[in-house]
Amino acid sequence: MLSIREIKEKQLIPQKPQLKMMIGGGLALSKTLLISLGELKKLRKIPSSSERYNRPNRTYDLKKYESTMKSFTTNEKYLRPTLWCDPTEPEVIALAHQLGAYQKSEQEFAESAFEFVKEKMTLEILPFNPVSETIKRGTGTCIHLISVFIALCRAAGIKARYKMFAMNMIQAWYDTTVNVDPLIKKWYDSMGYFMIEGEGEAYIDGKWMVAHVGPRAERQAAGGIPVTKFGEDSLGNWFFAIPGSIMYMESIPIGLGGALRFLNKLAPGSMERVNISVQKQIERGKQIISQAGGIDSYNVNARKKKGPSTPELELRGKEQIVFE
Amino acid sequence: MTDLNSYIAKLDKAIEKYIPSKNTPLYESLYKPKDLFRIPLDDAKKMQLKTIKHSFIHHYNNNQFYHNFCKEHSFSPEDIKTNEDLDKIPLIPDKFFKDYPNGKEFATWLANIYTGDLPKIVIKQKKPTYDDVIDAFNRAGIIVTYSSGTGGRHTFVPRDQRTFLNSEYILAKSFVTMVYPFWEYDSYGYLLMPNPRKNFIYAGKAVEVYFDAVKDVDVAIDRRVTTELISMTMGGAGGIKSKFVRYFAYKKSKKMIDDIIAWLEKHENTDHKITFVGAPYILYAVMEKLKKQGRTFNFGERGGVGTGGGWKIHENKRIPVSDFRKEVQNVLGFKDKYILDIYGMVEGNGWMVHCPEGHYLHVPYSFYKPLVLDDEFKPADYGEWGRFAFLDGAAQSYPGFIVTGDRVRLLKRCPVCDRPGPVLEPEVKRAKGEDVRGCAEEVRKMLSSDLGS
Repeated sequence: MLSIREIKEKQLIPQKPQLKMMIGGGLALSKTLLISLGELKKLRKIPSSSERYNRPNRTYDLKKYESTMKSFTTNEKYLRPTLWCDPTEPEVIALAHQLGAYQKSEQEFAESAFEFVKEKMTLEILPFNPVSETIKRGTGTCIHLISVFIALCRAAGIKARYKMFAMNMIQAWYDTTVNVDPLIKKWYDSMGYFMIEGEGEAYIDGKWMVAHVGPRAERQAAGGIPVTKFGEDSLGNWFFAIPGSIMYMESIPIGLGGALRFLNKLAPGSMERVNISVQKQIERGKQIISQAGGIDSYNVNARKKKGPSTPELELRGKEQIVFE
Repeated sequence: MTDLNSYIAKLDKAIEKYIPSKNTPLYESLYKPKDLFRIPLDDAKKMQLKTIKHSFIHHYNNNQFYHNFCKEHSFSPEDIKTNEDLDKIPLIPDKFFKDYPNGKEFATWLANIYTGDLPKIVIKQKKPTYDDVIDAFNRAGIIVTYSSGTGGRHTFVPRDQRTFLNSEYILAKSFVTMVYPFWEYDSYGYLLMPNPRKNFIYAGKAVEVYFDAVKDVDVAIDRRVTTELISMTMGGAGGIKSKFVRYFAYKKSKKMIDDIIAWLEKHENTDHKITFVGAPYILYAVMEKLKKQGRTFNFGERGGVGTGGGWKIHENKRIPVSDFRKEVQNVLGFKDKYILDIYGMVEGNGWMVHCPEGHYLHVPYSFYKPLVLDDEFKPADYGEWGRFAFLDGAAQSYPGFIVTGDRVRLLKRCPVCDRPGPVLEPEVKRAKGEDVRGCAEEVRKMLSSDLGS
């Protein structure tokens, strides 16, 4: 049982913007459900005769944990275990070693962890669980996948944290993750944005480096966006943060897991529809990549189509602006 | 009938304070030509090169982030020798103006995107809201206009007085030229947007000049529309306060329609010229109500409309521009040639206006260069569909070299009328993957209900 001090210290209490988003999102969801009770009844479960979601097989083997494997046990901020993200679990330590922990440089290891989670694991909407379960299953929500990345980094002695935000998304993303289910669409449309999305960040050479592990290359190809690398942000590419909503945190806050469980109970069909759509998106992406002649040539073209780069703006204080 | 020169001279007299500064390329390319849309192409090309190059040099020398951006692209003023070289000017994606922090940092962000010397700006609040910062800038003479909060993110653009006046002058001159000889100062107007004297939302602020160009102007939305209010009325915020705000917005909108009908009745049996300027959605709601009541008006040559900001009339329904014109003719009795649409955006100061003959959007090409970019964001040929971009020689306080999220087709000249410059197809759409936007759409959402449905 965590003490109040620990709860505060590990940032388990949702930050103000997140609390606001959760309350706003909760109200919007309640309204959506109240005015769509008939629809909810029809849509909450997918009939057995309809297309169902089949979880894809795990695409990787896991090394067995050995007690001799070096691990990192500490209570230091950004390295210690946090909610749904325990770097001391044997499966995490074993995978970290499989990916070269304590052999590669921090940058190289973070890149390997990023590539592994992003390209070997698959998006699936389901309730939260410990990182070890996600690793064994090979699927999870973006937050599950971020937690795997963060746990791997922490297990290798690299500080890592969450970056959360509310966001809008590009049309192709909207079409495959929102527009596939009438209830989710109504919910999103009533708010004008999606209330929570996230990325991981690893602290390397004195700098926080962003890691968006949510979409595999195939999903990015299906969305017409470049296949991103470690250090490249989803923000400005396929997501756009609602100003003032970006938060950095050591832990997933309390409450988020409950909300996801509640949604799963209330409308499992909605989650399943998104999962089916994600699988179709992956299949479509595979075709696109193969038609382009492989990931590299797809990526060259996609980066050309991405449009002009946005100017870098370094915020410098101006003496003419006086704060009283 | 008054000749065009005297007609424009009268306009210039009415809106004298908006005229660009003398001894600048913009004065030559914007003020001096009487008809912005009939400048011989060779002359216009020279003006365009001079004005845009002058503007580029100004931003290159006085704006740190844009200077760095140009260096990254290995582009400098020496690289501009011909009109074709202008196409290589580094373009800023419009998303750049949507990526801003909050609180005190918002003020610093605005200061950092601003070109030139800032006046002293005092911010008194400990945790300033966007509106607090906008007010502080305004007190110092910088108008921070904003738009398109439809996805929860606004576009903020800081304009100094000069840039703002340029934009106003261009709008008035472009529209008045196109409706020649309809305009006269002694007429009556109805602004179908928020009151520009109380607001900074670009849906409205941009047409402040209407009050100087026309003797008597009424306003449909005569209250302050803050960023907070927009967030509440557009569904971005929950809570009881938001519900009240939305309810009152709905009630006020109902009254607004009745007020406009009463205004039409007042001018019906007179010889007054009347104009509507603003969101087509509001006028559409007025006409729907009149149709329900089985009533029509017949203003004939006495009525004109300048619409702008998008064609959504209900949440899931757009009205084609041509259908809207037919409605205005049938219900209000206005002439087709005086029902023109205007296309512009918060990031730019050029306004494209329908010609009365073919309703193609004519570009003011002597100081503003339109571009259409292909899928790889390279300039496409005339006749191709693509993403709209522009080089705006009238922007002084921020670099107006922008790639938009709008999908357009640019033609070398109008297929219908004899004006020589480039035109855009009459209807502009959003490019795939972009937020819905447009100031009329914002107003529609703010009013919180589908009026007239």
